[in-house]
Amino acid sequence: MAIHAESATSAASDLSPYRTDYTSWKILAWTGPVFLFAVFVLWGFVAHNMPPFPPSATPEQVKAHFHDFRLPLLIALSICVTMTAFYMSFSVAVARVMERVEGPGGLLSKLEMMGGTITCAPVMVTLAIWLTAAHEVDNLAPGVVHMLYWMGWLLFDLAYFVTSLQIAAISIVFMRDKREKKLVGQFVIWWGWVTFASFFAVSAIPFVTTGPLCFNGVISFWIAFFTWFIWIPSLSYYIIKAVDRIKAEDEAAGLVNN
Amino acid sequence: MSTISNVEVVNTDQGVTPRRLPGVDGVWVAIGADSVIFAILFGSFMQARLHNPAVFEASRHTLNMNLGGVDTLILLTSSWSVALAIQALKRGLVDRVPRYLLGGVLTGLMFMMSKSVEYFEKFAQGIRPATNDFYMWYFTLTGIHLLHVVFGTSLLTYLWVRARRRAYSCSRRVVPECVASYWHLVDLLWIVIFPLLYLQRAV
Repeated sequence: MAIHAESATSAASDLSPYRTDYTSWKILAWTGPVFLFAVFVLWGFVAHNMPPFPPSATPEQVKAHFHDFRLPLLIALSICVTMTAFYMSFSVAVARVMERVEGPGGLLSKLEMMGGTITCAPVMVTLAIWLTAAHEVDNLAPGVVHMLYWMGWLLFDLAYFVTSLQIAAISIVFMRDKREKKLVGQFVIWWGWVTFASFFAVSAIPFVTTGPLCFNGVISFWIAFFTWFIWIPSLSYYIIKAVDRIKAEDEAAGLVNN
Repeated sequence: MSTISNVEVVNTDQGVTPRRLPGVDGVWVAIGADSVIFAILFGSFMQARLHNPAVFEASRHTLNMNLGGVDTLILLTSSWSVALAIQALKRGLVDRVPRYLLGGVLTGLMFMMSKSVEYFEKFAQGIRPATNDFYMWYFTLTGIHLLHVVFGTSLLTYLWVRARRRAYSCSRRVVPECVASYWHLVDLLWIVIFPLLYLQRAV
């Protein structure tokens, strides 16, 4: 009886005066797959980036590409700029789950949230640069369109280490999860490391215009991008499930403040 | 570190013996993913070779096959040495483990030196990744593999230092098993890269 009384007192003292909004948390977790869907469909297919227009293309060819696909580029890129914010909200949901392993305000949880949020910046700016190229294609010289196209890719790809830090933080924290059944599965944790490693190859893109390391090459595009594209929904699946598991844990511990 | 999911129970004549995947499950995910990535690269290389067989064949002849062969022997020896370290751990022969791991480290370093010699040879001949498609693939495939060797040798060095302090034993061998599994993959990848780049004719 004494033990029960003590644990009840302890649970009461741990009870936050604020209600945990599990529904919003779950909605934020869902924004990860929404972001990926938008990027995949709009940026990938509608904007003709799957595969990207070749880096070896001449300024005239790049201008012709932007001219020919002006309307789909305007539609896809303008929506995509907006939808990119969902990667930030997803990162907030992930950070909150990480805090349940690492402790409130954990360093790696913060790194993850910053990494996910800052990832949005180069992506949004890149999309805006390409949007400008598409919008102004008839007023710009081929050399300028070519410059904008390359500028976009250099920014989009070479800012990868911000996302690498986010992925590393997630993998480290969930590897440390002491639960018998971890909140995030081993597959996703280790796939995160594969994604982390695969990103390094894109550092070569300023130096090559053909071959596997150029920005539309098998390594720098197909492998580096698709490891990330697989990682996002795989992690999202576990994060969405984790919110329910954490809610159940909190309820069992008497920590839910209704 | 070992999870319940990587424990498998098999029936033997002596009764029920637990059997498990070496290391942790996750390291096999990474090994599998790495293998798939390299398989994609090998496929892409073969596709590029089909488009330009004359250039690929002429360029292949400029590679140093003897050094490639020596590299293969070095990595096979290295894998063998690391396998002996794991065997020694399993049998409780902890004293022998640092010796075998040191063999793995030294052979890893030998491979790096050999590759450096090969690269310097190429640079001295004025060959660069941009020279043609073959060399782009040659430097990319061998370069990525070399990064694997550097990473693996660093891990083996870490194991060697820890093993000298008797950090591992028959019951504490998950980390050495993870590293050894990765090291065997590095060896296996070279066994594919060597014939693909150095030996196979571009027809």
